[in-house]
Amino acid sequence: MPVPQRRKQAGDPNVAAILTWFLPGGGHFYLGRMRTGILGFVAVWGLYWLGLELSDGMGFEFLNKELRGPFAPALAPELGNLSGLLWQSRTYGFGPGFPRVFPEHVNLGVMCTACSGILNIFLMIKAHADASHLEEPGLGQVSLSLACLFAWIVPGGGHCLQGRKKRGLVVFILLTGLLVLGTWLSEGSNLDRQRHFYYWGGQLMGGMPVIALEQLFGQPVVNHEIKYAEAGLVLACLAGLLNILAILDVYGWGERSALKGMSVKSDKGRSSVTAKEAS
Amino acid sequence: MNDLVVHLVLLFVISAAIVTIGVFFSHPDDDEAFKRLPRRLGVFLLGCAAVAALMTLIGLTTASLG
Repeated sequence: MPVPQRRKQAGDPNVAAILTWFLPGGGHFYLGRMRTGILGFVAVWGLYWLGLELSDGMGFEFLNKELRGPFAPALAPELGNLSGLLWQSRTYGFGPGFPRVFPEHVNLGVMCTACSGILNIFLMIKAHADASHLEEPGLGQVSLSLACLFAWIVPGGGHCLQGRKKRGLVVFILLTGLLVLGTWLSEGSNLDRQRHFYYWGGQLMGGMPVIALEQLFGQPVVNHEIKYAEAGLVLACLAGLLNILAILDVYGWGERSALKGMSVKSDKGRSSVTAKEAS
Repeated sequence: MNDLVVHLVLLFVISAAIVTIGVFFSHPDDDEAFKRLPRRLGVFLLGCAAVAALMTLIGLTTASLG
């Protein structure tokens, strides 16, 4: 079996990924890809800034008092954008310590800060892949980070983008079905970050279907007992968490394909050199 | 509908999702993954039944409130 011949790395992939975690775009600056770095920084930090503006930085005030602590926000999706999370924690924290009225667009704001964290994870994947030359054209596959991002936006979408349509369809039906079933059982009460701070974060990994469901049925007024509220909440959260596994599947398959493409490319290169030498 | 039936149906639905995504993750080849799915699902459900039985037993004996 041919051993994949890796090209000389542009930089350490792990360093590139970690730098992106600390500062969106940082990994690309390290790799010398200034334009991608600036674009990544503007997109990720712009979304975080928009979220802070819309929510007046009150997102962490959703947490119950007994749950507040120095590491409590670290379990939120905002963790993906570490600089944003630290900025919000230092500047706004848990508020003045007494209940306040939330601004009108607080839910949209917290959605933006959470999505910023998730987007930065895909920027980390891109920095890692760029450092390893896994995203070069001609490797016979779609961009690895794009496939992963698409797998988050639509469960199963990344698989379809990679040409694995049957698998993608099964993932889409299962995960979106679980989300819809969970939302139906809990009558939309699962789609409310104020009620379920951490479960909400898990659900958000389900991508666009969750965001759409929240816009349609989220934050309902609950004035009666919902019999299967907890079952629905667990189902919807599990759908989001299972989508992480689906994204990892997309990443693993894409990485294998890219390495295979590299191996074929280097074999071709070697055989053309040998042919030249022979002639 | 009977509450127990609803919970069993929900358990089956959630088990199917967990096992399917799990088997996809561990087998990149679709045919291989689909072939292994029924057996894996059976083992998962049997495991869940064993845990439930053990918890019920403990609830009735050592951790009994009565």
